[in-house]
Amino acid sequence: MIAISIDALTKRFGSQAALDAVSLRIEPGELFFLLGPSGCGKTTLLRTIAGFVTPDAGKVFFDREDVTLLPPHKRRTGMMFQSYALWPHLSVARNVAFGLEELGVPATEREKRVREALASVRMEAYAGRKIGQLSGGQQQRIALARALVVRPRALLLDEPLSNLDARLRLEMRSEIRRVCKEFGLTAVYVTHDQKEALSVADRLAVMAEGRIIQVGRPEEVYRRPHSRLVAEFIGETNILPGRVISRDDDRLWVEARPGSFSAHAVETLETKAGDSVLLSIRPESWRISDRSEAEAIPATLHSTIYLGELAQHEFDAGGETLKVLEMNPHLSSRVAGRQYFLEPLDVIALEDRA
Amino acid sequence: MSRSTAFAVFGFSILFFFFFFLWPIGETVRGAFFTPGQGFTLGYVLEVFRNPVYVEGLVNAFLLAVVSTVLTLLIALPLALMADRCLFPGRMLLSGLVLVPMILPPFVGAIGVRQILGQQGALNALLESLGLVSEASPVDWLGQGRFWGVVIMNALHLYPVLFLNITAALSNVDPAMEEAAENLGCTGLRKFRRITLPLIMPGVFAGGAIVFIWAFTELGVPLMFEYTRVTPVQIFYGIRDISGNPFPYALVVVMLVSTVLLYAVSRYVLGNSAHGMMPKATSQGGPRPMTPLAAWGCTAFFGGVTVLALLPHLGVILAAFSSQWYGTILPTSWTLGHFEGALGHSLTLLSIQNSLKYAALATLLDVVLGIAIAYIVTRTKLPGRHLLDAMAMLPLAVPGLVLAFGYLAMTQPGKLFEFLNPVTDPLVIIVIAYAVRRLPYVVRSVAAGLQQTSVTLEEAAQNLGASPLRALRRVTLPLILANILAGGLLAFSFAMLEVSDSLILAQRMKDYPITKAIFELYQLLGEGPYLACALGVWAMLFLATTVFAANLLLGKKLGGMFRL
Repeated sequence: MIAISIDALTKRFGSQAALDAVSLRIEPGELFFLLGPSGCGKTTLLRTIAGFVTPDAGKVFFDREDVTLLPPHKRRTGMMFQSYALWPHLSVARNVAFGLEELGVPATEREKRVREALASVRMEAYAGRKIGQLSGGQQQRIALARALVVRPRALLLDEPLSNLDARLRLEMRSEIRRVCKEFGLTAVYVTHDQKEALSVADRLAVMAEGRIIQVGRPEEVYRRPHSRLVAEFIGETNILPGRVISRDDDRLWVEARPGSFSAHAVETLETKAGDSVLLSIRPESWRISDRSEAEAIPATLHSTIYLGELAQHEFDAGGETLKVLEMNPHLSSRVAGRQYFLEPLDVIALEDRA
Repeated sequence: MSRSTAFAVFGFSILFFFFFFLWPIGETVRGAFFTPGQGFTLGYVLEVFRNPVYVEGLVNAFLLAVVSTVLTLLIALPLALMADRCLFPGRMLLSGLVLVPMILPPFVGAIGVRQILGQQGALNALLESLGLVSEASPVDWLGQGRFWGVVIMNALHLYPVLFLNITAALSNVDPAMEEAAENLGCTGLRKFRRITLPLIMPGVFAGGAIVFIWAFTELGVPLMFEYTRVTPVQIFYGIRDISGNPFPYALVVVMLVSTVLLYAVSRYVLGNSAHGMMPKATSQGGPRPMTPLAAWGCTAFFGGVTVLALLPHLGVILAAFSSQWYGTILPTSWTLGHFEGALGHSLTLLSIQNSLKYAALATLLDVVLGIAIAYIVTRTKLPGRHLLDAMAMLPLAVPGLVLAFGYLAMTQPGKLFEFLNPVTDPLVIIVIAYAVRRLPYVVRSVAAGLQQTSVTLEEAAQNLGASPLRALRRVTLPLILANILAGGLLAFSFAMLEVSDSLILAQRMKDYPITKAIFELYQLLGEGPYLACALGVWAMLFLATTVFAANLLLGKKLGGMFRL
């Protein structure tokens, strides 16, 4: 179990910065996610940790050891590739045994460890198969077993589930987490799927344009985004421009077009009365009511999409369109054109910046 | 295409293959095993193995093929790895020039090689002038038996086939496959041996099989080097008394069976490694920059091979313009006379005319058949379409010599196809022979185009009222025009410079195509070789133009043409 420290990594491809002075510390035994839209640099960061990309500047440490210039084959990391990269000319067992052969593990122990690794991903019955005879989900398990069998110092996963269908993806998510925890591995997992990150990660980093814009536990990042970018990339949200009326520690009183709100200021926000801010209110953190209550704002129902367990409403409130989710909806009591009152349960104040 | 039309086209194509691919082979086999009026016998084939002359020919042909293939692989594999993996000065230019060796019919190149490497050739003259070799005992570079001359010519002519196959295989390898190996501690040559080589093996094997079969049955080059103790040449001379002599038949069958056996055995030994489910590459591999020394090393090696491959061309061009070139580095005096002489010779103009006629008709047949077959294979679900696909590709694997001999056998007096006998009029049988052997190029090319063109485009036209055939003509064919042209051009230019069919099937002087004319000119005493070279230069220019055009049309996909 190692800690991975990234110190001011920079990598340019042509004129474009894939990594722009990225720093990060991943704790021993942590299942850490790199999350962001395509082209944000997350895969480059992972490949730099694996050693396939040599950074232009900055350093990578495994515990105290500087591995920045160590070639990939000497880093003892286990990597799972997006395409799995299973070798079609070798059987399942030979694929898994490959790393052990390179380490010079004696044949008897090798066979034992291959069996154990296949058992740990529940594929022991497939040892003799050819790779081409496996389904996508099975290939994925073999790729995991191949990476784990060498007892790597860290497990690196590059969008491992992106080639699977939705059902298998759900199943494999918990499988990967189970195996990582069982082996007590430090793991870095790249994905663009926020649900995957929120449900599996110990901590995650949101990246955009070669930078890390927020690091934290899933709930922190979801409930306390530091910027509009994060709020909008992870989950859906309503963004309302507003003006600060008063501030008491981290509570702000903010005036926006639909009405006034009591908002929680994120740590990085430095504002005083009179400054403009952005309010972020998640669609699920509204309560719809027929009567006016303390902090509720009046809003007219514009349209509704019924999804069974929930309904997606759009309201008009003082010229702003608000997305509102309602669990266990009864459509008979929601009539388009009528006025309702919306009470916000969680309002975050963000810096007024893109 | 409606189902009934598809069936009709399918039926016609199958019949065509039956009569002009299986039938000639069958006739040859019959000639080898049946005595007219006496029934089945193994005697002729057994006699081949008892006769020391025939055995020597087979051993020599086999050795020629093995050594040529190994040498070709030694040239092509490093070149392909460099072109795919390394950034070095001149990379684009040199990879582009890799097809150049193919623009010279190898048996013309053989004349050039003799001019340069012969005992009184340019290399010895150079070494003598440097004082490294005494004039009295010049080095015999090509060896007494001319064995090495044939091998060198084969390798220099065929390495592009292997190169194209290997680079295509390399570009299909997901870079993550190699990265996964590195991640697990495996690098360098070890990684190449354990991962890369097995992954590109299908490409190496496909290219190697073409090279092997080609070298094993090559007729033109050994003829030009006067290396007569080799089976293809023995068959060629045996044709003179084909009607009464069963041994040419037996020799052809032995050749055919050994190629098929060798192919099957090596395929079995190397494992049928068609890795069906190679995942699509997800990361960019791309060539890597290297240290200046290594980069220039690559340039030197790649450039060196290209220069070597151009030596036969150079020899042919110099010979064509020289009035005297014997025992000196360069020709001692220059002339345009050979071109006049060649053009003036009664054979030349007629042979060019003949070749254009044969090749044009064969190409037309190829394009029509090729489109039909490619369409059935890629766009319909007819049962048996895979059989058709395999059949259309088979002519690549069956030696041209075998087929040419088969055509001759099946048109002998008394046979079903007597009315096509080339002694009376070779037009039809030569056109068919040219067409069958080049059909794979057209089918491959057109099928590739069809696979990249969505069926929905055609369906949209049908939805708007175009009949299936009209939709094909107005939408799909224009979209794959580049592929059709490229396939057709290749078929045309290779037909123009075809050797085995031309030497064997054209028997009257007024029917000679250009390759046979070159061969006949070469045998004239005196200035014959120079006239042959002049005609060779013309052929070279012609083929260079068409291959260049096909390359422009197809880009990198040209490599796919030469794969089994």
